[in-house]
Amino acid sequence: MSFLKRSPWIVHYDGASCNGCDIEVLACLTPRYDVERFGVVNTGNPKHADILLITGYINEQSQPVVKAIYEQMPEPRVVVAVGICATSGGIFRECYNTKGGVDSTIPVDVYVPGCAARPESIIDGVVKAIAVLEEKHLAMKKARAAS
Amino acid sequence: MKPLAMTKLSLKSLFKAPATVAYPAIPREYFTGTRGRILIEPSTCNLCVICDVRCPTKAIKVDRKGQTWTIDRLRCIQCGACIEACPRKCLSNENRYSDPVTHKETLTVPIPFVPPAPKPKPATSAAAPTPAPAPAATPENSDAKDRPV
Amino acid sequence: MGERTVIPFGPQHPVLPEPIHIDLVVEDEHVVEAIPSFGFIHRGLEKLVEKKDFHEFTYVAERVCGICSYIHGMGYCQAVETVMNIQIPPRAKWLRTFWCELSRAHSHLLWAGLLADAFGFENLFMQCWRIRETVLDVIEETTGGRVIFGSAKIGGVRRDVDNDTLKRCAVKIASAAAEFEELKKVFRDDYSVKQRLCGIGMLSRDDAWTLGAVGPTLRGSGVRTDTRLEGYAAYNELKIEPIVETACDSYARCMVRMHEVTQSFDLIQEIAARTPEGPVFEKPSGYPNGEYFARLEQPRGEVIYYVKGNGTKNLSRFRVRTPTFANIPPLLHMLQGCELADVGLIVLTIDPCISCAER
Repeated sequence: MSFLKRSPWIVHYDGASCNGCDIEVLACLTPRYDVERFGVVNTGNPKHADILLITGYINEQSQPVVKAIYEQMPEPRVVVAVGICATSGGIFRECYNTKGGVDSTIPVDVYVPGCAARPESIIDGVVKAIAVLEEKHLAMKKARAAS
Repeated sequence: MKPLAMTKLSLKSLFKAPATVAYPAIPREYFTGTRGRILIEPSTCNLCVICDVRCPTKAIKVDRKGQTWTIDRLRCIQCGACIEACPRKCLSNENRYSDPVTHKETLTVPIPFVPPAPKPKPATSAAAPTPAPAPAATPENSDAKDRPV
Repeated sequence: MGERTVIPFGPQHPVLPEPIHIDLVVEDEHVVEAIPSFGFIHRGLEKLVEKKDFHEFTYVAERVCGICSYIHGMGYCQAVETVMNIQIPPRAKWLRTFWCELSRAHSHLLWAGLLADAFGFENLFMQCWRIRETVLDVIEETTGGRVIFGSAKIGGVRRDVDNDTLKRCAVKIASAAAEFEELKKVFRDDYSVKQRLCGIGMLSRDDAWTLGAVGPTLRGSGVRTDTRLEGYAAYNELKIEPIVETACDSYARCMVRMHEVTQSFDLIQEIAARTPEGPVFEKPSGYPNGEYFARLEQPRGEVIYYVKGNGTKNLSRFRVRTPTFANIPPLLHMLQGCELADVGLIVLTIDPCISCAER
């Protein structure tokens, strides 16, 4: 874990999931998995967050909420779609109320598979997201230097 | 009312082994029965398409003409319906999930199945495009090795 | 008399992992009226029954809710089995009961943790979830999934658990139960827990009954009721005494759930010892034709499944009445007159599962 230079903060939103992935995201914060040892903090405020974890697919009513949360987050930001519903719509893909996975609304950087995604997978996904965050940060720095 | 109930509990946990598992550093040992990603044994598959039909999320696609079996790991919900339905028992569960990815992609496995030839005439043409030799590095296992830590 | 202000609560709120939106009409610090709005996680899965095969729909039914997933899948199977007139083998019945009780224990422990978090008792939250992980390990070992069990099937259960594993699980659960007893003492005696829960969110016996509360919310108001007494699965062979508290406040509801965890742990021991040998699955034949209401006891209360088949592979109607849905009117009643700082806590005391309620 030596490559971890920052402690990314996470905001979690439940798009329209069955709860399974949400409680697994919560389980990551509890003693068995404890992501806080990597400096990952769950925050309720999107303006404090670097990583947006979304569980569940997007429906008509949650679409503006997800967009609003995403737009409030400061650059660079990374979106992690947790669970099969968030990645592709999963078993609810054929429901009348689905808009599809999270990538139908906002750009997704990391897809975490699993129904429900295990805490181990979520930790792997967050570690991947941190790498993406680092890349984005470097790209931003370069762009700033060029201008 | 006992005022120090929680203090007692907290002090006790000071002397216990930590409840936290050092997950990415020490890989997790899953139970043998854990439902994880779906694996296929290409040599026994006969392209019967039952798994394709039974999959509740349409994650599996079987191409009989192109002789391939394709799975979208980002659609599979690990329910095991395909495993139960498979008549040749060539599908199985690994006890862990596939890894998180940054791009959507599907996994295609070539199936070296030679359809039995009841009539001699079409059999010669069917066997002509030589069935792909049993893949040495079975693709479904290839992504098991490069596990990020 | 202060000025009236409307304060929105949710949908993205730190107290709840799920989106619920309540408009709180506030006068000074007191809530005058609470107006909920729903639909953030409406999936419309009841309609899906027309597209999916009735066997396949078990996977959808299990995903009505991720916390009590098994009971949803099992309730659906039970309803279809009754329509199709299938007698499931006794061992399957006992295994179903085993998993029902495991999911009750894990759901209540999860809730206890969230409650502790809601009143700022971080340490207690962590302890609850630590014990819950042991329960989840048992679930994973016996079914293969942590939260979505995936072991419900029309005609029985999808996988057998051998008796050695059952015994081993019973030992694990016994150790979790011993740890839980210490935790229960904290909930029962701790000053700060009592300070935040006693006298908060009053729901009188009559109100609870008239507004149609179910489960621990109703039992916390002194009504002796439990759908497990109906004797579905193997419950007719087990002795179940509903846990009733008469204080009618948040603390009573909390204690009902605490005692229920102990009860579930005891039942799990009994089931592990008494599960009979035999097959676990009987292959159903034909298609469901007819309709049935199945009633089951979920961790949150009574749940009702309505299934109507028309003799084809697709059912013509499926309906779930989930406990959270029934508990929302009592919740709105409780919120009237409470202080703004207690809103999060009171919402939690009905153990809201929004994805159940909105389906």
